[in-house]
Amino acid sequence: MPVLKAQVEALLLLEARLLDERRFDEWLALFAGDAVYWAPTRPEQRTPADGLSLLHESRALLEMRVARLQRADAHVQSPPARTLHLVSGIEVLPSQDARWEIEARSTLVVAERRGAESRWFAGRALHVLRRNAETLLIVMKRVDLIDGDAPQRALAVPF
Amino acid sequence: MAIENLVRGHAVHRAAYVDPEIYALEEERIFRRAWLYVGHESEIPAAGDYVLAPLGGEEVLLVRQEDGSVGALHNRCAHRGARIATCPGKGARTLRCPYHAWTYRLDGSLLGVPLPDGYADAPRAGLARVARVESYRGFIFATHDPGAPSLTEYLGGLASAFDNTVDRAPAGTLTRFGGRLQLEYRGNWKMFMENALDLVHPGFVHRSSVEAARAHPEALQADELAQQAAQMFLANGLPGPQWGEVPLHTFPGGHAYMGGFYRGGVIAPERADPVFARYRKALVERHGEEKTRAILEVDRFNNLVWPNLSLNARFAALRIVRPLAADRTVVEVQCFRLDGAPEEMHELTLRFVNLAASPASLVASDDLEIFERCQAGLRDRASDWIDMRRGVLADERAPDGACRSPGTSEAAVRNQFDAWKRYLCRS
Repeated sequence: MPVLKAQVEALLLLEARLLDERRFDEWLALFAGDAVYWAPTRPEQRTPADGLSLLHESRALLEMRVARLQRADAHVQSPPARTLHLVSGIEVLPSQDARWEIEARSTLVVAERRGAESRWFAGRALHVLRRNAETLLIVMKRVDLIDGDAPQRALAVPF
Repeated sequence: MAIENLVRGHAVHRAAYVDPEIYALEEERIFRRAWLYVGHESEIPAAGDYVLAPLGGEEVLLVRQEDGSVGALHNRCAHRGARIATCPGKGARTLRCPYHAWTYRLDGSLLGVPLPDGYADAPRAGLARVARVESYRGFIFATHDPGAPSLTEYLGGLASAFDNTVDRAPAGTLTRFGGRLQLEYRGNWKMFMENALDLVHPGFVHRSSVEAARAHPEALQADELAQQAAQMFLANGLPGPQWGEVPLHTFPGGHAYMGGFYRGGVIAPERADPVFARYRKALVERHGEEKTRAILEVDRFNNLVWPNLSLNARFAALRIVRPLAADRTVVEVQCFRLDGAPEEMHELTLRFVNLAASPASLVASDDLEIFERCQAGLRDRASDWIDMRRGVLADERAPDGACRSPGTSEAAVRNQFDAWKRYLCRS
């Protein structure tokens, strides 16, 4: 487990850094082809079919999100946001879903600066991971903000 | 400047968007007088169930009464003013203030107070009732204006939008589900309502998501989520002249709707897949073939009830636009189950709302950005007048005041300002 824990921590930190450095294609490559990114509005949601979500995106939809983020005519990213992800409290657990191997739970704080304004997001993240030869792939990333059902201004960069 | 001069011909003064004094007048003369959507009957199914709703700068409690009717009460104790409820409740028999325990019946009348002898005259005041509350096909509206017309009269040409939404449910009722999404932008509330029926902007504002979908044609063959997303993004890429063919209908009172522009795939008005076949069969069992066809043929995108409601009948979703200040607005998004429809239909609804209306939507996020840019720009004093004449020569006005225009017209903006001026000038 120590080796695995170090490997999972490295993956989560890398994922956060790739977002902060706007290396979105490399970020996307950390996700499996059947991966889902999900940010529900409320922590008690069990599945995306339970209610509305801030983001509920399959890998193919994430591809479109990332393609758009890199276009100059994505108005909400002109000027682009500068983000900083603080990933902490990482726990590595056997997955509760028998199909997968590993889960990582973490706490997440994201600071975002865009134009003349700063804002912050706080929440818990769940990464479900699949071993692929020597590496780990993200099968699902779930982010539960503490205020997912509160008013939010436009969001473009994933948490 | 006198209020009646803020709208001049086909132009509006920028004060309508940026001036806090005009905003204060809007709160008083529009948001305290117009019928506003406050909730759905399915949220309070049983006696004693209640929800909270903002209404014209105040907070009201919608309470299901013992007799099955809906009561609307000010959420303010008659004694020291404390909020009675802070979150929705179920099956309450009374409403009790947490401060000195003044206790009210569900209709707001005072049931009792502890230590009544301590008050010189026995207290009698109950929770104040909201001046008017009425329901249309399950949608509850309220207003602080006792002299408002009936709700049906107010809805006028847009009552049909609620009819069509409810008629699409095989069991004949809707049930609110899925919680809510809330968006915020630093811009005037009217911008959201104007943009909702502006069909020139999609090709420009939403170009990045159109092009992202064009660059990923494989998404159309991928999972259901990506398919629905790609079809929705691509729909905004209609060639310019074709937007003009989407009809725009405006009605007296500021209301309006536009035709649909989702032509194919999972978002088409009628589909060939097994889920839709089951749904259609359930509808035919309720309405018969002819009426079912008529219900499904109604293809509209946004139905706007002035001043602040947008209803999408095909996807059973609505947006409530709530101004917080001249330059600050929150939009709440809700959706409904079509009772009796296959469960997969509700997933389609959730996906539609997430994709089209979340603050993280690849589409809506760019709209919010544009509203903020307009608000920032309108503080500039280089010119006071904002033009809204686009399409004015193409209006086809009927004797009853309804008007049909091409989708590329600003007819809806002009129509909203007609209502705005009328409400604002009534002291």
